[in-house]
Amino acid sequence: MIRLALPKGRNLEVALAAFRAAGLLSGLDLGGRSLLMQLPEEGIEVLSLKDWDIPVYVEHGVADLGIVGSDVLGEIDGDLLVPVRLREGRSRLSLIGRASARLAAGSQVRLATKYPNTARRVLEGRSWGAEIVELSGSVELAPLLSLAEVALDIVQTGRTLVENDLVEIETVAEVAACLVVNRASYQRHRALLNAWIGRLEEAEVVA
Amino acid sequence: MKVSAALPIGVAALFFESARRRREAEMRLVALFEGAGYAEVILPILDYLEPYEALLTAASRGELYRFIDRDGEQLALRADFTPMLARLLAPRLSALELPLRLFYRGDVIRYEEERAGRQRELYQVGAELLGVADEIAEREVLRLFLEALSRECSSGLQVVLGFAGALDHLLLDAATGDPLSLVAAVARRERGPVRRACPRLLAVVESGLPERPEDLGPAAADLERLLALRDELAVAFPRVRLVIDLAEFARHGRDPRLTAGLGERSYYDGVVFRAFAGASALPVGGGGRYDSLFHRLGAEVPAVGFSLSVERLLEAGTLQMEKDEAR
Repeated sequence: MIRLALPKGRNLEVALAAFRAAGLLSGLDLGGRSLLMQLPEEGIEVLSLKDWDIPVYVEHGVADLGIVGSDVLGEIDGDLLVPVRLREGRSRLSLIGRASARLAAGSQVRLATKYPNTARRVLEGRSWGAEIVELSGSVELAPLLSLAEVALDIVQTGRTLVENDLVEIETVAEVAACLVVNRASYQRHRALLNAWIGRLEEAEVVA
Repeated sequence: MKVSAALPIGVAALFFESARRRREAEMRLVALFEGAGYAEVILPILDYLEPYEALLTAASRGELYRFIDRDGEQLALRADFTPMLARLLAPRLSALELPLRLFYRGDVIRYEEERAGRQRELYQVGAELLGVADEIAEREVLRLFLEALSRECSSGLQVVLGFAGALDHLLLDAATGDPLSLVAAVARRERGPVRRACPRLLAVVESGLPERPEDLGPAAADLERLLALRDELAVAFPRVRLVIDLAEFARHGRDPRLTAGLGERSYYDGVVFRAFAGASALPVGGGGRYDSLFHRLGAEVPAVGFSLSVERLLEAGTLQMEKDEAR
């Protein structure tokens, strides 16, 4: 039995659609309150976790594999294998701010984000510096209400930005839902995992 | 006055049963090493930083706890036994009778990000064999490694074997201007970037081995030797799953173009191996050949060794017992 961790957030539908297109998880019903769902005919056990917890569960081998956003992996890199990324549900990690925001060389600003480690890497080699203000949500409010001059956050359609007079100053990275696999599990279940990855590739739902 | 019993992140105090269990595991391993003719070395927890400056990579530098002593000397807490042993032995080698069979036990202190399962103080035992050439040394050290693992974990053991520089030929041959990114992609088994840069590496990413040994160029002969060694060890240790997986050690390149800036704590330049016990992706031990470490320290001697994390071994053994009882 192999254990798969699925994310609760925005990547769930994307992940389910990809697996189903590959003929996997067809019997899965996430409607109930069960924390651990078994699909004996497929040899899979599915658990539903918050995005940010998935790398820890997979690294410890509690789950053999999982789906998690590359934005989260950029923060918690648990030395996981990342064989494929899902095609659908892509977004971007961007610096956002008010149109009037100025990031002049030598200036020091405040940068609000849920991604402090990524932010530190983004700031390396910039002509301007920033104090990182770590927030847990509604990050786009920070530049809007002047808690920070800029924010580093996920942009999907950009509609929220437009509606709030914010602009995308710079795209820092493309964000994709990634299939992550525990190193020890990969060695143990290599044939089965490679078969699954092969089916996802054949269904053209991964890149 | 009320005092708190809290400890700094990443360290633990062991009392009663957990202390006894760890000490017993350590004693079993020590008895095994002594029985195999290995003699103990006791090394200090504190050393000068200077002898290691040239050996440090970005990652190993980041792991070091270092500080300035009262007399102005830069010191560091021991983060790894092997370089410490090598730098102490290199100037003395000509006066010592080879081969040397040595073992050690003690703490290594490494800075780790605060995360579950990542300790900053790790209790290790390890063994080093110096002065025995080629496969004879590798066979002896791997047998001792496998014996130690088998005694501590009854099942669920996997040992992955590879060798440094195995993929150098393929990586440097790839259609990419950024070989370091390709190294990272192979190590994480990212199929997309690997397929685009070097389709011949895809087989290594999927199965751990190239489609044809010739794909490895000059390293093909090393693979043949490793396959033979693996087969021999698999007969002697049937309960351990022994696999050769060159992608697992993609970061252990030998060509400077493939290692510069990668920042791995890696001095291995020949056979390299790592063991997993149970489900965790954190290895319980590992080792390999590191002749070039001595070479960089001005001494010429073949060297192979390994270390084991006693806590991780115990954890894996306990989980196994719980599973067995649950059945």
